[in-house]
Amino acid sequence: MGDLPFAIELAGQGVANGLMYSLVALGFVLIYKATDAINFAQGEFVMIAGIVIAALASDAYGFPLWLALFAGLVFMVLFNIGLERVVLRPLIGRPIVSIIMATIGLAAILRGFGPMVFGSAPRGLELPIPDSPVIFGPFFFSPIQLVGAGVSILFLLGFGWFFLKTRKGVAMRAVADSHQVSSAMGINVEKYFALAWVMAGVVAMLGGVLWGSMSGVDTQLALVGLKVFPVVILGGLDSIIGVIVGGIIIGLVEALASGFIDPYVGGGTKDFAPYVLMIIMLMIRPYGLFGRKLIERI
Amino acid sequence: MKIWTTLGAAAIAASAIASTASAKDLVIGFMCDRTGPTSVTGTALCPGYHDYVNLVNSKGGIMGNKVIVNEIDHEYKVPPAVEAYQKFKTQNALLVSPYGTPMVFALVQKMAEDKIPGTSAGFGTALAGNGERYPYMFPIAASYYSQSAAAVQFAKAQLGGSLKGKKIAYIFYDNPAGREGIPILEKLAPKEGFTYRTFAVPPPGVEMGPQILDITRRFRADFVISHLFGRAPSVSLKEFKRAGYPLNKVVGFVWAGSEGDIIASGGWEAAEGYNTMHFAGVGSDYPVLQEIRDMYKAQGKEEPDAMQYTAYYNRGVFQAAVHLAAIENAVKAKGSADITGTDVRDGFYEIKDYTLGGLLPPLQITRKDHEGGGWVRIFQATKDGYKPNTDWYRAYRAEVRELLEAEIAHTK
Amino acid sequence: MFYRESGEYKTDYKRDMTLYALPISRFSVGLMVLLFFVAAPLLLGEYQLTLLSLVAIAVVGALGLNILVGYAGQLSIGHAAFMSVGAYTAANLVTKLDMPFLLTLPAGGLMAAAIGLVVGIPSLRIKGIYLAIATLAAQFIIEWIINHSPSISGGVQASIEIDRPTILGWKLDQAVELYMFLVTIAAIAIVCTQNLIRSRIGRAFIAIRDQDIAAEIIGISVFKYKLYAFGISSFYAGVTGVLYTYYLGIASYEQFTLVVSIDYLAMIIIGGLGSILGSVLGAFFITLLPIGIRLFMENVGSLFLEPEALASIISQMRLIVFGSLIIIFLIMEPEGLNRLWINIRNYFRVWPFSY
Repeated sequence: MGDLPFAIELAGQGVANGLMYSLVALGFVLIYKATDAINFAQGEFVMIAGIVIAALASDAYGFPLWLALFAGLVFMVLFNIGLERVVLRPLIGRPIVSIIMATIGLAAILRGFGPMVFGSAPRGLELPIPDSPVIFGPFFFSPIQLVGAGVSILFLLGFGWFFLKTRKGVAMRAVADSHQVSSAMGINVEKYFALAWVMAGVVAMLGGVLWGSMSGVDTQLALVGLKVFPVVILGGLDSIIGVIVGGIIIGLVEALASGFIDPYVGGGTKDFAPYVLMIIMLMIRPYGLFGRKLIERI
Repeated sequence: MKIWTTLGAAAIAASAIASTASAKDLVIGFMCDRTGPTSVTGTALCPGYHDYVNLVNSKGGIMGNKVIVNEIDHEYKVPPAVEAYQKFKTQNALLVSPYGTPMVFALVQKMAEDKIPGTSAGFGTALAGNGERYPYMFPIAASYYSQSAAAVQFAKAQLGGSLKGKKIAYIFYDNPAGREGIPILEKLAPKEGFTYRTFAVPPPGVEMGPQILDITRRFRADFVISHLFGRAPSVSLKEFKRAGYPLNKVVGFVWAGSEGDIIASGGWEAAEGYNTMHFAGVGSDYPVLQEIRDMYKAQGKEEPDAMQYTAYYNRGVFQAAVHLAAIENAVKAKGSADITGTDVRDGFYEIKDYTLGGLLPPLQITRKDHEGGGWVRIFQATKDGYKPNTDWYRAYRAEVRELLEAEIAHTK
Repeated sequence: MFYRESGEYKTDYKRDMTLYALPISRFSVGLMVLLFFVAAPLLLGEYQLTLLSLVAIAVVGALGLNILVGYAGQLSIGHAAFMSVGAYTAANLVTKLDMPFLLTLPAGGLMAAAIGLVVGIPSLRIKGIYLAIATLAAQFIIEWIINHSPSISGGVQASIEIDRPTILGWKLDQAVELYMFLVTIAAIAIVCTQNLIRSRIGRAFIAIRDQDIAAEIIGISVFKYKLYAFGISSFYAGVTGVLYTYYLGIASYEQFTLVVSIDYLAMIIIGGLGSILGSVLGAFFITLLPIGIRLFMENVGSLFLEPEALASIISQMRLIVFGSLIIIFLIMEPEGLNRLWINIRNYFRVWPFSY
């Protein structure tokens, strides 16, 4: 296979993967956009959703898949409501390091809690999606990637519409802008915070299902969370469209770095390249491609 | 007043327990990782270790002396491992079993100073196979050098007895341990006439589409050697499957083939054909495992879940069996349970013809070779679980040894 | 009740500038010196000394991180990477150039400081979460470079073994010798930090933390001092890395992963941001916490759990307790253990006349 067709094929893979990253990053952006909180436990959310669903669908509990998915959804929604109430609400207005640390603590709790309740053995998560590749001209896609990419785009568009066009979405953006002013305008700030966390929980549940079926489910699934940062920095921390574009760029860079730089370096540059790109981005446009530039005043 | 008498009584009782405990108990310090990055392994391996020791104790221990295993989970972090080691030392451990490569590195010097032997099956460095350099550390399992050599031999057999002009892909987790298989390939490639290329999977290894695409469609490998850890093996299986690559042309190193990986990749039918290398037998058809099941039955308990994950569970049994064999040899040589770490070290050299019905390879540990010969066995995934594909074997010993000596000379 | 400021008059500048101005602080410093330099080595066994040695190393690292995060307000999630820079610098110097131990210690620190300055450059433009993510990237990039440069990492193994440290021909190979050395370094680090914070630099850090734009307006060169903060903090981290390397006899980048950075962050959060005592307490707390949980679970948990179940529960509980403690501290006592200590002290300060 020549270099060009190979590059094209890699690019196709990269885009598909990038959209899967976008899905995980979306949860992060939703929370940041609405509540200004940085969630370092996004990967653990994905993990716990995957663990719950895979455990319920396994022989030990024997739920049918749709019921397990539904139960996973309910679990994530309730969990995130509780989380917002107990952990994050008291931290409103605290310095950023507090919130980051709280979510890091939360990540540790989830890594202990998942295996304690559902067992630590890895599980498979089989979706009724075939394994054999789908062929579009020169491109080979695995169906799960296509489904993942499709779901990502669907959700991203859905949330984009939500934030721009609906009353709740506008209110949420107002809340993100200024807690004080939106309270004064009669917006129930706390309700919108809870809503943001719930939305992030739903997204994490989808991420858990798709990534879980890609790679199997155990505590290691949380590592997909590390992919979030380059994506959101590139796209902008508070931009939905940025998540899509950032995800695609990161996916592409990863795939091409792995195909064309690795052979010369003798090591995996796939996870390294996105971080370099991210640093460059931070130096040029710290607020990302589509992020809002904040002007500070005293 | 009353509280003081109670406290005093409690203290006396505690010291009484302690003193009876230390009289004849053989103490082993056992480190484990049940929650850190390698928890997949630890959660199956550690129960296996305890179960075998319990089995021996239920049969009267080692010549009437009870074996006590103190476990400490260090979460794959070095400072807790150092703490754990010192704790074991206060408990007069005869043998310490570190867990994890960085921890083995951090402790190997100290253990030699304190004259406490230990094993590092599947961890640490190939260099530890040299008993003259690390007199108290016993890898007891095939090093990555040996595994790499065995994999080449296996590929040769699978590709019709010759590797002339064949292409081998080496896909590895991008860390020092992952790279350790490469020098052997480098050495064997001209000798056997094959070409190879390496494909790095950087941590966390949850996604490796591009690498597999490269292997299967650009490089077009005739055979794949896979040295992956953690979540990566199951991802690689799925990706190979999607790329339409025959899994019987893939052989995984020892951390790339647990039952958990197969299950997570979509079950046995999906993974059919996949070969994995092991330094302890896989499967449940070993007499010793039956005895453990009987032990649980006799106690009226259900057998633990970990027993289903035989790749790692059996490694726990394997480690425990080798440890206890060494201790037993030491007790026999001394004639009493009053032994030291050095006696146990010498006990390792006396392990002969000890295979527990095929669960252990025919280890031959000598003063020079702490690897025990570098034995591996390849098992293949079938619809109903792992089936052995080869017998215990080893390959290219001269080349492995040569490389080892060159490396030792280089790092001295 | 001993803590009395009344009757202490500062009549000249010299007295105003002393580090330990009150008799009570001199007394407690003396007590600490007695406790850690005389009593501990005489009375404690090897195990306890090992624990204290690990704590002493952690104290140095935690102080460094607290200077950056707690005093200068620049969040860093890449502290462990600077430790690995120090560790590999020292290991290379000692194996390749045979440099004496007492020189490799500052050399490792200086190298880490140099890298820290580079990592600090983005802090000119970015702050808060962006800076945190930049330091996260630094963690990964430094790890990657060490992992892939055999000339730094010493070959395929990416680890370099070194001998025990020697000071002027005296080999530190006993636990008590190592302990004495480490605790001395930790004490020096504490005193240096105390003086740093009282200096112009320290006050500039605090001004930047509290409001960087305002700090710039009153004439503090924000960029310069942010770089200072990164450099000094990385110096401490580098020294920590060197200490780990000598203590364990090996430099290996796997000892300095992201998890370690997070542990150090947890130390200063639980100990108290922007507090020296807090860094020390946090180092004690995080180092000893797993041991405490294990002891507790072994003694209490064994009453109602089977040993097999207990082993895995201990591990999982440790994670849960660790996470919960961080969250509880953040919610209930954001200023950490240091605040608790101050509360206790203030209570006794006016005791028994608390009105």
